[in-house]
Amino acid sequence: MAPLKHLEMENSIIDACFRDFCASHGILTVEDFLLHDLYELAAFAEREANADRLKEGITVMLSLIEVKCRPLLNGMELLEDLQRNKHTLSSGDNGADSLLQGGLREGQLTELVGPSSSGKTQRVLSRISCHTVYDIYTMFDTLQGLEVALRSQVQMNVNEYRLRLLVVDSISSLITPILGGSGSQGRALMVALGYLLKKLAHEHNIAVLVTNHTVGAGESGKTKPALGETWKSIPHVRLMLSRDHRNSNCTISILKHTSMVRTLS
Amino acid sequence: MGEHEARGWIRSDETAKQMLSRVLGDRAFLLLPPLHRVPLRAGNVVEITGSSPTAKTQILIQAAITCILPKTWNGVHYGGLEKLVLFLDLDCRFDVLRLSDMLKNRLLEAYRIGNGAWWQLEESNVKTQDKSKIVYDEELYVSCMKRFLYLRCYDSLELLSTLKTLHYRIRLQEACGSQVGVLMIDSIGAFHWTDRLSSSLALDKNNRKSLSLTNVVETIVQEMKKLMQVHSLVVIATKATIYEEKYPTNENNRNISSHSDLFGNPSSKAQQPPFREFMPSSWQAFVTHKIFIRKSDDHHKSLGQQNLSAYLLEWLQPQLSSIDRFIVDDVSKLSHLQVLL
Repeated sequence: MAPLKHLEMENSIIDACFRDFCASHGILTVEDFLLHDLYELAAFAEREANADRLKEGITVMLSLIEVKCRPLLNGMELLEDLQRNKHTLSSGDNGADSLLQGGLREGQLTELVGPSSSGKTQRVLSRISCHTVYDIYTMFDTLQGLEVALRSQVQMNVNEYRLRLLVVDSISSLITPILGGSGSQGRALMVALGYLLKKLAHEHNIAVLVTNHTVGAGESGKTKPALGETWKSIPHVRLMLSRDHRNSNCTISILKHTSMVRTLS
Repeated sequence: MGEHEARGWIRSDETAKQMLSRVLGDRAFLLLPPLHRVPLRAGNVVEITGSSPTAKTQILIQAAITCILPKTWNGVHYGGLEKLVLFLDLDCRFDVLRLSDMLKNRLLEAYRIGNGAWWQLEESNVKTQDKSKIVYDEELYVSCMKRFLYLRCYDSLELLSTLKTLHYRIRLQEACGSQVGVLMIDSIGAFHWTDRLSSSLALDKNNRKSLSLTNVVETIVQEMKKLMQVHSLVVIATKATIYEEKYPTNENNRNISSHSDLFGNPSSKAQQPPFREFMPSSWQAFVTHKIFIRKSDDHHKSLGQQNLSAYLLEWLQPQLSSIDRFIVDDVSKLSHLQVLL
């Protein structure tokens, strides 16, 4: 919540007069400004004595917002970004690689679902630095700290140890404790975490891998991934791992992929 | 007022025929497969609902390709609209490779049909490796990809700021030639839970609009209405269901429908949506067309012996009696089959 008076230092037009006018319409922060109808506000400004200055203030606010917005990319620019920055990382397992057409893709959030003892944790690559996290709030802290570190790394153009893969094992143990009942708090935190991971993946060209466990599906009898319906829309790729105890075969199948439709097993 | 001016005032500006041809030219009917059952006009808002994964983004991509292709190019008929597509990715999962592959396939197909080599199509569907025969037009491919405009938003505030500044940015893009035809939103309900959380945490001060779910959605609808006044575009939004539904109707619905039968009111049964609606009423009032997609129980066995999922597409508003069935095969095409129910 950024109060308007913080903008005065760099933009002298956002002076006390403008802020009083905004306050009279219930606008105290930039977020309030976003929720209001700007044409209506300009019409109200017309009635005031210093109408021109107020309308200029509104235009300056709008241009400040526009600077913060992401640019409009076209299809060719998206393809270039993909080819230049988003490479495929091998997952260390030939079967999985051939299924995924190369491996884990940077910029995507891949989810690995499987019941316990199906070998999920073994599929972690070497050269990792570990952070133990016991609850979701520490998770947010860690990720936001990582985001700041990555952004400063980009600015200084340091390229020696670029982070390529982020693994969260297991995301369900972080989220399931808070997902009780029909309240929105647990699910909101889960969605926010998912978006933070996707943002890290896309902006800093990292492949993110999360593991999830399965729950029994009640009537239909089949097992399904935990974390519910809302989580289904968050990962780019969802893989289902199942281990056949009789012949210790591991099968991996795609539940969802952004550019493939096969459900091979 | 002199007589000359009076006559000028009475004389008409244009005849009805001229007016109709102008209006139909500006705001023409769009037929976008697989949504071609109902012709869409500028100003229509289509909402596609389905659980995950039900190929909703695939439908958007296919509609986008029809929009960005030109009508004809170098003598080959492509049947497109040659308009810009604005894609607002709220899910942040868009894969440009899929768009690229589908576009290349369409170009190849149209080229082959245009050159009378339609009999080669079936062959090429089986042998997908053998693409070296015919090369698609690179220049056309690049110009089509440039007509696809993409924006990502990671939360509601970013979405609001984008919508507020969109008009000026579209104008800059339109200066290069084509007009915007479609605005696509991938997953309008993406920020539902985070916004609901903000509602419960909102401070209650007088005269101040809190950042609650209803306020945010209301502002989104307002901004989109303003955009639609200035640009003639169709809005297509997908929506992922966030509550798990057991299809067909569960206990509650069955009780309600039998109750209303007692009162002799059969129309209410038809209006009940097969999913639980979670968007606020301001959005629901804004939507003019509704579609529901669900996974079909039977799988489709194609040539490559792979079990492909079939999906059923149903128009809820306007209510059509037929249900379309389609599959997505590995050439990234939406193959259309029809089932009447």
